[in-house]
Amino acid sequence: MKTIPIKILFFLIFFFCVNVIFSQHTYSALFEKNIKASYNKFTREKNFQKAQLAFFNKKWDSTLVYSMKQLSTKNKISELDNYCYFFRGISFKEKGIFNEAKNSFNKISKRFKFYKTVENYLGQIALEQNEFKKAISYFKEFEYLETANYFNIDQGKVNHNLGICYLHLDDYTKAEYYLLKSTEIQEKENDTLMLIGAYGDVANLYYNQFKDNLALPYFEKAYRLSKKVKRYDLKKIAALNLAVVEENNKNFEKAIEYRKEAEKWNDSLTDQNKIWAVADVEKKFAIKQKQKEIEVLEIKNEIRETQRNGLFIIALLLLSIFGIGVYFYRQKIKRNKIILAQKENLDELNATKDKLFSIVSHDLRSSVNGLKSSNSKLMLNLKSNNYEQLDELIHQNAVVANSTYNLLDNLLNWANQQTNQIFFQKESLHLFSILKQVEYNYKPLVAEKNIELKIEIDKNAFVFMDLDSLKIVLRNLLDNSLKYTNEKGMISIFTQNNTTETIQLIIEDTGIGMSAQVIVELLQESTKLSKKNNKEIVGTGLGMQLCKSMLQKNGGKINIQSQEGMGTTIILTLPKQPTNE
Amino acid sequence: MNKINILIIEDTKFESDALTEILTANEYNIVGIATSYTEALTLFYQHKIDVIIIDVFLNGQPEGITFAETITITPNIAKPFVFLTSSKDRQVFERAKLTKPFSFLLKPFNELEVLYAIEMAVEKFYEQTNVYLSEDEDTVIGNNHLFIKKKNALKKVAIEDIVYIEVEERYCNITTVNEKYLVALSLTKITEFLDTDTFAKTHRNYIVNTNKITEIILSENLIILEGNHKVTLSDKYKDFIHKFKILK
Repeated sequence: MKTIPIKILFFLIFFFCVNVIFSQHTYSALFEKNIKASYNKFTREKNFQKAQLAFFNKKWDSTLVYSMKQLSTKNKISELDNYCYFFRGISFKEKGIFNEAKNSFNKISKRFKFYKTVENYLGQIALEQNEFKKAISYFKEFEYLETANYFNIDQGKVNHNLGICYLHLDDYTKAEYYLLKSTEIQEKENDTLMLIGAYGDVANLYYNQFKDNLALPYFEKAYRLSKKVKRYDLKKIAALNLAVVEENNKNFEKAIEYRKEAEKWNDSLTDQNKIWAVADVEKKFAIKQKQKEIEVLEIKNEIRETQRNGLFIIALLLLSIFGIGVYFYRQKIKRNKIILAQKENLDELNATKDKLFSIVSHDLRSSVNGLKSSNSKLMLNLKSNNYEQLDELIHQNAVVANSTYNLLDNLLNWANQQTNQIFFQKESLHLFSILKQVEYNYKPLVAEKNIELKIEIDKNAFVFMDLDSLKIVLRNLLDNSLKYTNEKGMISIFTQNNTTETIQLIIEDTGIGMSAQVIVELLQESTKLSKKNNKEIVGTGLGMQLCKSMLQKNGGKINIQSQEGMGTTIILTLPKQPTNE
Repeated sequence: MNKINILIIEDTKFESDALTEILTANEYNIVGIATSYTEALTLFYQHKIDVIIIDVFLNGQPEGITFAETITITPNIAKPFVFLTSSKDRQVFERAKLTKPFSFLLKPFNELEVLYAIEMAVEKFYEQTNVYLSEDEDTVIGNNHLFIKKKNALKKVAIEDIVYIEVEERYCNITTVNEKYLVALSLTKITEFLDTDTFAKTHRNYIVNTNKITEIILSENLIILEGNHKVTLSDKYKDFIHKFKILK
């Protein structure tokens, strides 16, 4: 009865042993090549590349991370997914998370190229989880599989696993068959580590059946082999097994020896374990460090990104501000230009106004002065009852008053025109009547200067103009002609060259005329007043200016022909009413 | 031929004197001079006015325009009028312009300008423009009168006084109960503007005031009119007789 618990202990020991053997397994180069060849077409998937690299380097965590990344991409390729789940399943299994591993394996479709490998793993997991019958069902399939190597399935291991399964199920005959077969295969393959496990298991099998004689050689075989390897755990188990066997055989001396050896290996193992633990801690520490670094890098990256975004936004903002600035600057320049032009215009107008002001005040002063002196003469003559002189003086006064009035009238019209305050309405006007009305006021002057005034105008001529504009033009031109025509001269006003759109009105005098330069100056397109050449005669050039702008406003034209000393001809082109028919 | 009756609305005596002088010299009849809006209205209704001369500003207010507006919007009383003003201020003129027809006289004015303005007012009011200024015509047909230009001034003849009109090319011989005038007036214009109920064509050259007919002698193709005027009745125009109730 005493042996039973010990035997149970053996069970546990061997069980562990099998697992160790599996985890120490390295993938055969052939299998690796096969796998790599079959997913060549997915090399463009970065995450998958990383996952498979980590997988073959046995970095299970990285494999899990990258495969998950690959799976979470939208790029769904079922074959690629199969590989991913395959890597994940193996990784989980290696990490001892069997349920997850099972889940991953189950997600792989049966059409997967390496599905047999998957089933092998599933069998191993079943074995790990003590579902022996299930495990057997997986393994049985591979028993005679010829292409086993292609799927990284080791016949020895399969047999070994089957043996262990039957052993657990207490089916000793089958267990014996498979375990012996596995030892046979492994002896052929000369896989020492596996062989130790296999011998141990066979020995254990026999020992469990109390076939101590058969068990002993296998224990010893395992022990001898264990001496050749550097695996302390295997050495310890082999020694311990022999110790238990010898103990049961009452061979205590040997048992103690084996126990001591086992103790020694145990110490070595714990040392190694300690080293491993330290290494593990170091590794964990290093991982933590790496993790931290990664975090720091991530944070840095984040900061950099936000900085970059910030910079980008700032740049954008600056650019828009710059754009707005440029826009406003250009607007300002434009406005400045306008203001400058306006200023120039205003300056010119102001200069004209100043000049006009001085000329007008000068003219008015002399006119009023003339009236004043004439009035005092008048009074004197009245006192001395010299009536003959009176008539002449009064006529003189009338002439002066008339010209002054005309000047003031022009001034008013000019001011009105500048401020655009005048009512303006074009209508059909009877040219002859209007001319007569204007001429009416000059009758005394014409008579006084003894000028012959001939008016020969088509009595059916109508122009389309503003009445007052026409009167101002005619008044000024007639006034000028009378002013510059000497006594007994002749002025003739007539129409000619009637077209459907215009009428030409010609005012011809035999006055002093003017030079070509003066004509050019008079007709110049400007608001400036022309110079005053004839100082004897009152004139501002304002009248001609008014005529020009009034005609322009009414759609008329003025032209001057003159010869100094011979006379002046003024040709007006006046618009007719546009006919609708 | 009678003188034209003119109402002057002007608060400055100097101006109204000048106007009166000019108009009287040209044989116009001044029926009154008003110096305010109410006075103007009173005079307007008291007399038979033909033309009004209105100063835009009365006592500093544009009452002249108000008066013009009043007679324009009241039906059947409107008469030709002339605005008298010293400045062509745009705002005032824009308002005055609304009282159509619109003619104006700018101060200072001379005789010709006054006469021209009155003629324009009559022409525009009766919508017969370019009559007095052309050489072809001299008569505007008003509602109750013919306005005829004789020399420089206008005269009027009451339409109801006309007995018959004899057309001779561009001229018309107008015979009234007492007188006879030769005016330049086209036949088309007569038929267009004279009341066809009253005036009827009896011959290619004759238009007769039907109210003045005393006897129609069909056998002799003669119409006897008031004042014992005899007018030929041609066959072509006999239809007009059907307008009368013939007593048998």
